[in-house]
Amino acid sequence: MPAYKLTYFNGRGTAEIVRLVFAAAGIEYEDVRIEKPEEQWPEFKPKTPMGQVPILEVDGTMLCQSNSIARYVAKVAGLAGKTPLDQARVDMIMDGMEDVGKKGNATHWEKDEEKKAEKKKEYEETFLPQFYTCLNKLVGDSGHFVGNELTLADITFFNTTDLVGRYFKLPSMDQFSGLKKVMDHVTSNPGIAKWLKERPETPF
Amino acid sequence: MPTYKLTYFKHWGRGGVLRLLFAADGIEFEDVRIEREQWPELKPKTPMGQIPILEVDGTMICQRRAIGRLIAKEAGLAGKTPLEEARADMIVDGLADLEGKIVDFFIEQDEKRKQEKIKEFAEKTLPTFLVTYEKLASSGGHFVGNALTWADVDFFAMMFFLKDHLPSDPLQGYVNLNKVRDNVSSHPGIAGWLEKEGASQ
Repeated sequence: MPAYKLTYFNGRGTAEIVRLVFAAAGIEYEDVRIEKPEEQWPEFKPKTPMGQVPILEVDGTMLCQSNSIARYVAKVAGLAGKTPLDQARVDMIMDGMEDVGKKGNATHWEKDEEKKAEKKKEYEETFLPQFYTCLNKLVGDSGHFVGNELTLADITFFNTTDLVGRYFKLPSMDQFSGLKKVMDHVTSNPGIAKWLKERPETPF
Repeated sequence: MPTYKLTYFKHWGRGGVLRLLFAADGIEFEDVRIEREQWPELKPKTPMGQIPILEVDGTMICQRRAIGRLIAKEAGLAGKTPLEEARADMIVDGLADLEGKIVDFFIEQDEKRKQEKIKEFAEKTLPTFLVTYEKLASSGGHFVGNALTWADVDFFAMMFFLKDHLPSDPLQGYVNLNKVRDNVSSHPGIAGWLEKEGASQ
């Protein structure tokens, strides 16, 4: 098994999905957090492929882009979907959740206070309920997005929802029986449950 | 081989690269191009209220990159190992980040603001991106290994879209990136498609 080294800032952000996949898979990795970004980041940044973190170093290669890293680790762990079509379904859920996260981010960082309030209202009262209604329809009877087992799709749904929930009011899961099952499957996965208990509290 | 049905608008947008990927390996597919007026009726039938969508033996897949990766796998263009696949994925994700910036100026309604955004994109955002991507491309003109992957095709598709929106060729001076573009446009299936359809896109 190759050595895995994940580097990010000291927070959950875009690295957390990778940490969750490692946890679900029970794969050991080095969880490097840039403690003094003002000092250390300017030196490290030019060494990265696209001037960004998270970075995964494996077999002497540097991978960037959190979803690409997460998919790679999920593949190694057998959590990426069994067939190309299953994998495509996993990928589409990931991309959909990325849209959710990006819109939340844009709303959170809006500088104009009045616009921000409007965007927040739209995000919480219109976008999220509508999108989660679509997502709920995509959950199978098994309580998973794809097939009968945990995949990266389920983990991504949990992670983005968890992160968005720190800044925004989420729609109640009671109306989404499928999504509720997905959340339960993810949080009761032994590796993930352990990580959720042990992971550090960080500002983001 | 499964049956494929791709649905998107007529224009290049987010569907163009998918048609190129099918063409690259000569994979047969039903190429459904809808008018804007048809969209409201189709929208609620899609998984996330968006197109493009790909129907594979009746299963609906949405999201451009998810679809692109699936076609790439079918066409043998996804990468030869999991690590190569991850590298192709990261190149495509970086391009999607750039796409976000393009959408920003594309949808701007205020004409003056739009021109300002295009100027900033052409003079700052895009060159910064291309400097990074020049380093990620090999001297042989590939982003992954030494063979064509969908990462190369996706890059080509982005430049193909931009050529109609920028005053001059943004790839001037970028040796490796020019090679990537050449490798893609001269790939037999793609060259044929471009000859047939390129002008109308």
